[in-house]
Amino acid sequence: MLEMHKLLIGGLMTAALVSGAQVAQAQNQVNIGAIVPSSGPFAEWGRSNTVTLKMLEKEVNDAGGVNGAKLNIVILDDAAKPAQAANNMRKLAGDDKVLAVAGPLTSSACEVTFPVANELKTVTTSQASSKPGVAKANRPWAFRNTVDEGILAKTSVPYFTKTFGAKQVAIIYDAKDAVSTSIATKIMPGVFTEAGVKVINGDAPISFNTGDLDVSAQVTKLKSMNPDGIVIGADYSQAITVIREMKRQGLMKPVIGGTPLISSAILKAAPEIPVVAPATFYSTMDAPKAKKFVANLQPLLRNTSGLPKEIEPSMYDANIYEIVSMYIDAVKKSGVTGKAENLDADRTKIRDYMANLKGYEGFSGAIHFGEDGDAIKNFFIVQGQNGAWETKVTGCSAAGGGC
Amino acid sequence: MLLQQLVNGLTLGAVYTLVALSFSLVMGILSVLNIAIGELFMLGGFIGFAVIASQLPLPVALVVAMAGACTVSIIIQKIAYEPLRDAPMITPMLSTLGFSIILQNIVTNIWGSDPLQLPSELFDADFTIGPVRIGFMQLVVIGITIVLVAAVAFLVQRTAAGRALRAIAENRDVARLLGVSVDKTTLLAFGISGLLAGAAGVLISLHYSAITPYIGVDIGLKAIAVMVIGGTARVWGALLAGPLIGIAEVMTIAYGGSQIRDFIVYGLMILILLLRPQGLLGGPRSDVGQRV
Amino acid sequence: MSTYYAGLFADIGILFLGAMSVYIILATGQLSLGNAGFMGIGAYVASFLTVEMQWPLTAALIAAALAAAAIGIVVGFPALRLKGIYLAIATLGFGEMVRSFLLNFDRMGGSGGFHGMKHVSLEYIWLWGGGIFVLIVLLERSRLWLEMRAVHDDETAANLVGLNTTATKVGAFGFGAAVAAVSGGLFAHHHVYIEPGNFGFERSIDFVLAVILGGSTVGAGAVVGAGLLVLLPEWLRFLADWRLAAFGVLLVLVLLTRRQGILDRPLLDKLSLRRARA
Repeated sequence: MLEMHKLLIGGLMTAALVSGAQVAQAQNQVNIGAIVPSSGPFAEWGRSNTVTLKMLEKEVNDAGGVNGAKLNIVILDDAAKPAQAANNMRKLAGDDKVLAVAGPLTSSACEVTFPVANELKTVTTSQASSKPGVAKANRPWAFRNTVDEGILAKTSVPYFTKTFGAKQVAIIYDAKDAVSTSIATKIMPGVFTEAGVKVINGDAPISFNTGDLDVSAQVTKLKSMNPDGIVIGADYSQAITVIREMKRQGLMKPVIGGTPLISSAILKAAPEIPVVAPATFYSTMDAPKAKKFVANLQPLLRNTSGLPKEIEPSMYDANIYEIVSMYIDAVKKSGVTGKAENLDADRTKIRDYMANLKGYEGFSGAIHFGEDGDAIKNFFIVQGQNGAWETKVTGCSAAGGGC
Repeated sequence: MLLQQLVNGLTLGAVYTLVALSFSLVMGILSVLNIAIGELFMLGGFIGFAVIASQLPLPVALVVAMAGACTVSIIIQKIAYEPLRDAPMITPMLSTLGFSIILQNIVTNIWGSDPLQLPSELFDADFTIGPVRIGFMQLVVIGITIVLVAAVAFLVQRTAAGRALRAIAENRDVARLLGVSVDKTTLLAFGISGLLAGAAGVLISLHYSAITPYIGVDIGLKAIAVMVIGGTARVWGALLAGPLIGIAEVMTIAYGGSQIRDFIVYGLMILILLLRPQGLLGGPRSDVGQRV
Repeated sequence: MSTYYAGLFADIGILFLGAMSVYIILATGQLSLGNAGFMGIGAYVASFLTVEMQWPLTAALIAAALAAAAIGIVVGFPALRLKGIYLAIATLGFGEMVRSFLLNFDRMGGSGGFHGMKHVSLEYIWLWGGGIFVLIVLLERSRLWLEMRAVHDDETAANLVGLNTTATKVGAFGFGAAVAAVSGGLFAHHHVYIEPGNFGFERSIDFVLAVILGGSTVGAGAVVGAGLLVLLPEWLRFLADWRLAAFGVLLVLVLLTRRQGILDRPLLDKLSLRRARA
């Protein structure tokens, strides 16, 4: 018990010292916050996000900082738990006095963190959440550097239909996950029907739950429907289970899904089954800015303990890099002072910068934000086959077309 | 499709059987819910993966993973259970929960949180009988499950160690008076429990060939339901209840109700608890006087 | 107080109420591993009433508590047939069934969750927390509590001396469910968003942990337990990737060194004696 007390008190003191030091330096540095899931089921994403942000911090400071001030990114782990994410937001905005926050990653965490961002009047931008309408419900301080799945499907579905000559498709989805459910039960059936493709089980899509290891019964049922293509509503780690099982049962049909499918891991699940999904970044994409980013980040990721040796930068690393870069751009261009007494005004300036963003160059081209707080940017419909992604169509998420 | 679904259900059921038996050994004998069993299962899977990835054959993977899970199970017994043996049953249950958190964290830090996949197609071979496609690994899973259940049944029912286990399950104080070594027997229960969880982990991870550090959580809860339905007094109960639940799940999915699957499994479990608390196969109940 | 600590104390208040719901049921010797189910029922009923029926929050919480109490009593009756770990497992099954039901309950959003609640203040949460705490302290000094403890210690004997053990046990389930529902209603109106995943097994276990860590023999123990469960993960942040493992280690250490929980009667007496002297 005594040891425990000591440990606790030690921890408290360390925490107090760290935050004290940050406040003392606040005069000559620019503070940005980040909420990432470095422990729990998405630890890998959170840890690679952390490495990405550390790299960005070093890049900026090596180049002379932000308007002469040092960039300081305060990174907090939410363990993918919504309540911890919301408290992280309170700590970053209230105690650490950051100008703006990047994160959180999951949609569940965004749902409870975005209202806090509005309460505390601090911009926060999620690097991954794509559940429909989450930023829209939390205007004006919440943004997401992700594209509405409904818009993406309008480009990915016609490509899929044409390429594979699909006449009828069947749906399987993760019923425990909100994004997957909305992609598979709301977005895809409508878009496929519009494209003249029959959705065999549109009324009763087959579901499983996050964490299920066995989806053999679901796949057997899919197979019995005799579809030309499979719609998978799931994040890539669950989708891998489904694709493995499809291969095992000999259901070698092309797969289509939303952005949550994008990862290098899914390419290894069954290389001979083509996977079509929309992406705004993938590690082998052919664009100078992205190539440089991957070349710098990949070795850092692979040398970090707690991350696998063959890891590649993910779309969420690219997104969070863009988010913090935008904030830095906002500080430089919109007269943010970084002084404690101007904190409220500075935060408002960053929000206005984000809302009126024009011509910021991200990895896929120019980025700006729509009325609903979601990013409008170029995206690629990519096809994964034989272990690599390849861009098949390039589109823009703006209502009219061009970005 | 029906036959194919039966095969699917039997394979899933085999997994449930092994994990349920793992729970049941500790619970039936010591009346303690070892929550970390889900994580022993997960750990077995990761160890098995590591062995296969370094080009060693399946039997080696099985043995190493079983030994690894067994060792951790014994550590749990020594630290989390033994000192709290006389405490109310919630306390050891929560200390095993502590271990399940620790194990998830350690595995995440070693192997990452992304699904670990087998690099090659080592175990994807299959053959067809009429309309039914059976995988090589499915046969291995079902076969090894039957062998392990039989071995445990033999141990519990036919050996001196088994008599000691049953004596303790019946009444610990009386068993001690009769000269049964409670310490050794408790260790044995945890050890076998770990062996079974480890074996289940390897089989499943190689069969489904994609695992994450959090796979133990849901399988663990399901296995508790299977344990209850089979009853903790008879080893063979798990072999009956596992496939029963596996097939019930598969049939719910096949005939329209994939969303209500969990609802049905847990509903069935509660029904059994109320109508036939000693489980399908019956037998005496060991915990009637247990206080929390 | 900083907004950060205000957020943490709100979480502590909500967890404290959840822990009290377990404490009440545990007082009669019954362990519930399904109280997150009652919490979920409370959260959804209260949110439905405030958002769609425009009820004031207090009325909605009371209604949610009554609804959950009714369900708690319905659950309590069959629970009479079960004891010890089997009862715990049955309640675990109940909790999972509620979660599975909410996941498929499209009227309230299903897996997409439910929004539209108004944020409540920290004071309001602790007004409920304090109120229910006072209620339980009063209960602990009543004859009814002695009856509950008697059922806990030896049910057969309690029956023999003419105590109505059925009413005591079922009543405890009803009261516990009501408190869990209040906790859920406050959770919904603190985070202004709920989804079925909020009310799973992990939450039920958190309630039990708070009670056992804090001290299961005194009501005040749950405050300590809830505080630790919320604050420890925050204080352990300096351990980075090993934060959760360290939490697990501390959990095991506390259980090994203080199996009766951090607070118990002797410690409370000592503390209050010292205060009296000062």
